Amino acid sequence: MSFRDVLNSGKFVVTAEVGPPKGTDISEMIHHMELLKGKVDAINVTDNQSAVMRICSMAVCKIALEHGLEPILQMTCRDRNRIGLQSDLLGASILGIKNVLCMTGDHVSAGDHKGAKPVYDVESVQLLKIVDSLNNGKDMSGNELKGSTDFFQGAVVTPEANPLEPQLMKFEKKVKAGAKFFQTQAIYDIEKFKEFMKHARKFPVKVLAGFVVLKSAGMAKFLNNNVPGIRVPEELIEELKAAGKEKALDTGMDITARHIRQLKEEGICDGVHIMAIGMEDKVPEIMQRAGLL
Amino acid sequence: MIITKKKDFQELMENIKNYKSFFLLGCSECATLCGTGGEPQLQEMKEALEAEGKEVTGTFVAKTGCQVLGTKVELKPHKDAISKAECIIVMSCGAGTQTAVELYEDKPVYPANDSMFLGNMTRLQMFDERCSLCGKCILDKTGGICPITACPKGLLNGPCGGCKDGHCEISPDIKCAWVRIYERMKRLGKLQELCDTTLEAKDWSASQKPRTLIAREEKKK
Ligand code: SF4
Ligand code: SF4
Repeated sequence: MSFRDVLNSGKFVVTAEVGPPKGTDISEMIHHMELLKGKVDAINVTDNQSAVMRICSMAVCKIALEHGLEPILQMTCRDRNRIGLQSDLLGASILGIKNVLCMTGDHVSAGDHKGAKPVYDVESVQLLKIVDSLNNGKDMSGNELKGSTDFFQGAVVTPEANPLEPQLMKFEKKVKAGAKFFQTQAIYDIEKFKEFMKHARKFPVKVLAGFVVLKSAGMAKFLNNNVPGIRVPEELIEELKAAGKEKALDTGMDITARHIRQLKEEGICDGVHIMAIGMEDKVPEIMQRAGLL
Repeated sequence: MIITKKKDFQELMENIKNYKSFFLLGCSECATLCGTGGEPQLQEMKEALEAEGKEVTGTFVAKTGCQVLGTKVELKPHKDAISKAECIIVMSCGAGTQTAVELYEDKPVYPANDSMFLGNMTRLQMFDERCSLCGKCILDKTGGICPITACPKGLLNGPCGGCKDGHCEISPDIKCAWVRIYERMKRLGKLQELCDTTLEAKDWSASQKPRTLIAREEKKK
């Protein structure tokens, strides 16, 4: 069953993330794919994440397909203008890529080519409209396509953005622009997330809660201070501290598993998106602890 | 106004090392307000060049350096000083520099400044970029705050996920343009309008370079 069908069937879905490497040695990445195969419903392939130049998302999506995984092509507006984006979308379509996640993309100043010219010819909301238009047989200028695409398009949202209201405005614009599913920034406060979901449930979209496993109390504090839209509550930091250095990662995995289990049992959202960031090998175990395997 | 910044003096010296005599041309508008091309700066430059053993044959602050015909007329009395100089140093923006290029076809012209942006002076000698001259103004839709300029990504439909506590992902010193727009529209009672409008991808052909404009009505023959 395709990711779209699984999500629409009402099953609690799990997606994970694969970050393409910098360089042509993909052995480790393939190893991660093998680990995730048959366990997750789809994998997101990041698009030059944090503006650090790596293998392009599309090529890795193709490799994922060859290894029996369903890819979600992440597509940012940072590096390509409207011609490049549409052309790549058509290319992805003929390669058999069915899912696309439309994002604005981190600014080049965050990455390893700080002097690059950022593009942002269009942005996430407009990119969603472009995908919708290609699905309906027309490019964004209204020109007829010989053969249309059939993408299942999604977007991202930050439920703990501060301030939240402008973020919610954008969320609604993305829904109107055709987003069918959302993957969120990492969440750590289930009660707060429930509030967000109360709002999100007013719209006909599927929501996958984002997870980043905490490896230590230090990492939690770092996220709080440096990553926009992430807020790890004090209790969790205490819990990690109490676990001690040796058991911190294990506790972090427990916290993630516990949260996922709660989301599923209470039917709060439609699935989860696990961003392992270098710990892809731990994803199956987290899923097991959460009762998903 | 056009915001300019003095080039590093050593860089300028390197560029003009093959010349001995100079005419200095400033501008009484933006460059004067920026402190890069007014009377005092021309005087300073003259002294600095002389200290390097160069000769300054004359100096002049044009009324409006980007106004080609007006500047041509103003420079007439300086004809001798200019012809004695091997080269002209222009202490205004890139547009002013190119006025001199147009007027003196046979003379090398060098810029003393870097032209930065179209900006507002917020306090004495402090400037902010507020407009990118995109060619099709959308301030009517964004509460009068320009996201093309104030947002480093030029986003048209709301903040990105990088906004942190109301500040921009690229620097905690910049307030997120979209938080500002949202707050202002809220204050104006126009939030619904903002939320209901999805701006289409911008038509960048309006900023296709080089741009020209003929604003005067041609007289009918
Ligand atoms: S939209 Fe912004 S860049 Fe364009 S003309 Fe208006 S203020 Fe200038
Ligand atoms: S944080 Fe705000 S101003 Fe900065 S890039 Fe994102 S939307 Fe633009």
